[in-house]
Amino acid sequence: MLLIIKTSFMRKIIILSVLALTIFACSEPKDDTISVAGSTTVLPVVSSAADLFMKQNPDSKIIVNAGGSGVGVNQLGSQRIEIGMISRDITKKEISQYPNTSFKTHAIGRDAVVPVVSSEIYNAGITSLTLDQLAKIYKGEISNWKELDGPDKEILVIDKEAARGTRHVFMEIVLGDKEAQAAGADLVLGANNEEQTALVQSDAALGILSNGWLNDDVKGLSIKMPDGTLIEPSLENIVTNKFPITRDLVLITNGTPTGKTKEFIDFILSPEGQEIVVKNGYVGISE
Amino acid sequence: MSRKLKNNLFKGSIYTASFLSIAMLLFLISTLIGKGVSAMSWEFLTSESSDFGSKGGIFYQIIGSLLLTLSAAIISFPLALGMAIYKSEYIRKNAFQNITNTLIYSLNGIPSIIFGIFGLIFFVNILNMGISWFVGGIILAIMILPTIILSSYQSINSIPVSYRENAASLGLTKWQVIHTTIIPRAINGGFTGLLIGLARAIGETAPIMFIATAFSGVTFPNSFLEPVSSLPTHILALAQQATNPQALQNAWGSSLVLIILVFIFSISALVRRVQYSKIKY
Amino acid sequence: MLAFQNKIGKGYVIASTYVSIAITLLIFIILFWYSFEAFKEIGWDLFTRNWNPATEEYGMLSMLYGTLMVTGIALLIAVPVGILTAIFTSEIIPKQYRLYIKSAIELLAGIPSIIYGLIGIAFFSTWISSWFDLASGRTLLTAGFLLAIMILPTIITLSDDAFFNIPKKYREASKGLGLYTYEVLQKTIWPLAKKNIAGAVLLALGRALGETMAVMLLVGSIDKIPDPFYQVTSPGQTITSKLGREVGESAFGSLHFSALNAIGFLLLLLVITLTIFTQIYFRKKQEVL
Repeated sequence: MLLIIKTSFMRKIIILSVLALTIFACSEPKDDTISVAGSTTVLPVVSSAADLFMKQNPDSKIIVNAGGSGVGVNQLGSQRIEIGMISRDITKKEISQYPNTSFKTHAIGRDAVVPVVSSEIYNAGITSLTLDQLAKIYKGEISNWKELDGPDKEILVIDKEAARGTRHVFMEIVLGDKEAQAAGADLVLGANNEEQTALVQSDAALGILSNGWLNDDVKGLSIKMPDGTLIEPSLENIVTNKFPITRDLVLITNGTPTGKTKEFIDFILSPEGQEIVVKNGYVGISE
Repeated sequence: MSRKLKNNLFKGSIYTASFLSIAMLLFLISTLIGKGVSAMSWEFLTSESSDFGSKGGIFYQIIGSLLLTLSAAIISFPLALGMAIYKSEYIRKNAFQNITNTLIYSLNGIPSIIFGIFGLIFFVNILNMGISWFVGGIILAIMILPTIILSSYQSINSIPVSYRENAASLGLTKWQVIHTTIIPRAINGGFTGLLIGLARAIGETAPIMFIATAFSGVTFPNSFLEPVSSLPTHILALAQQATNPQALQNAWGSSLVLIILVFIFSISALVRRVQYSKIKY
Repeated sequence: MLAFQNKIGKGYVIASTYVSIAITLLIFIILFWYSFEAFKEIGWDLFTRNWNPATEEYGMLSMLYGTLMVTGIALLIAVPVGILTAIFTSEIIPKQYRLYIKSAIELLAGIPSIIYGLIGIAFFSTWISSWFDLASGRTLLTAGFLLAIMILPTIITLSDDAFFNIPKKYREASKGLGLYTYEVLQKTIWPLAKKNIAGAVLLALGRALGETMAVMLLVGSIDKIPDPFYQVTSPGQTITSKLGREVGESAFGSLHFSALNAIGFLLLLLVITLTIFTQIYFRKKQEVL
């Protein structure tokens, strides 16, 4: 008897849940949901901007995902999202993989890719490196900080996943090829977050990070130019393009954006949106 | 080595091993509960997350996880039940039993990331359903199918043949026999299996990572084909910022909530199993 | 009416079975189909060391090595500790406590893997890096160690069942002959429990091979085999970690995607072979105690 009662009780629960599910799944599908995905460098800006935009336009919905610049290109290319976030150029190969998508770029800010070290190394005196030294480290030709007049510790070389925008930009300038392999790499990590965490956890690490992620435990190195001048990764040097490794932060769309997508992009380009860009440690696009 | 010495060494190693195991157990429990509790608050449970998850709460993550598990349950239960009944009532040949057994165990052993890739290829791309919570529910349903089938089958099997013979002698058709004597027990056993399966499903990250979830901006999905956020993927995002104390604290909080949900499912299943084993036929 | 109901009932039952079977087969077929391009174009070059999507080189050797090494470490740690602990819970602990400890351990087995990943990053990677004085705590050893913790509950529970289910008479007979506990276990209990314990280990092995989240966060994700190859305190790569990190980054339908599918398919084959082997192994054993 008990079993049968339980059965019909459970049946009721199941039926109710199915009903609830169907009701709320069939409620007006908002076709102007804007899906955004891609670079973790651009993500904080777009995420905050989306929050603000949705407050000001309550009938809009913006869904944001991470994944890296590569994911942004792939998702937009296969037309699953409306806006992709990238912090590098789209490669020729990527364009050829998506012949049905016409990629249109919208720069919304500027940023620098900074070689970063654990604070212990910085405080021990290594505050700048030349591009050539960086190249040697990533190629595996220099492996100990003492070869650079630093403490006697093995360099923990942190690399990024191959399709990440931050990596492309860095490798293009440092190794001459945006998809170059780094034979000297010890770890491969993904998002800017993860990279930052690993740098903090180590006391001898060197990594590639976006300027907006520098903090007390993760110090950005200045680049020593061939003539000896030191260029700091300061916002000024990004604006004037003096820092050798800079890039645009870009939103990409399939063709010219219309409707809510256009409104959102315009919002980010507006003074209010640009304020968000600056608040995250980047440089606005109009400067 | 004398016999006594060997014995003592052996005893020593047993105690060492057990000590290690129990120490590990205690460490896990105390960390998860201790750190988790310090992150909990009513606000945490009911507010939205922001800033890569390091600020705010996990309300929509909880909703998303519940949604995914609910849909997985609804999709998998009837299928599993049907298969369990078929297996016990309609299949006679041993060879076929073996084949279906093999298939069920194989399905159970498939790594979770393979489910994710399968979902990506088949549902997101081939059927063009996009990244949606419904696809997530389907994939999780497929994942827990074997658990429910086995549980249901086990309880059907425990029904004595005499029940069926009695029903048949009363002139009932095959389906009526099934309907009256077998289905109630099958549902019972299946439901226990469902709870066990859901305990597993709600904690899975890999299957739903790239087919059903999004990072922010998701509230209630408005249709079948939108992504949701979930507790396990949220913990993944937070784990990648482990040196940010705020993010880490939220990670512990989310973990505790997730574990509590898992335990609700598994303890219910345990209770049912114990209750059930007391029934005598 | 009755005949109609009968038909519907039968139809439903048959349909669900075929759907379930179809899904299982579908997973295999789709994975194989999408990895076909890689097998055709790359062929045996899949078993080289260099993985570089930019130059279309897809050598999976470091991933295969990592998977086997990490799983090996996990078993090396968890199997002895697990079996010994199981002896403790089944033979030494008084009966009342056994249930509590067993339930506690079983609940542990239900903790989601991502939480183990979190614990690994928050605690174990720093512990291991300071213990071994390493530059980074993200190593094959760390991943293996965490996997060991994850499969320990399974091994303990199932081994405990195996020991517990052996009837008292064997132990009493051995004790009557004056054997020490160790000898009782070694000569009498162990041969009887061996098969079930082997089954438990195989089950744990299957889980360890397929584990993604904890490994992905802790193994270092670098496509290299450590030099020397037994230096497990270096970072490495496993199949599951690679898949977790790169599937989203590859373009659907590209050779890169196909290569990823290929390593996924190989993992699938490995795990399924193991599962089927376990099943057959168990079917054979019908010992009457």
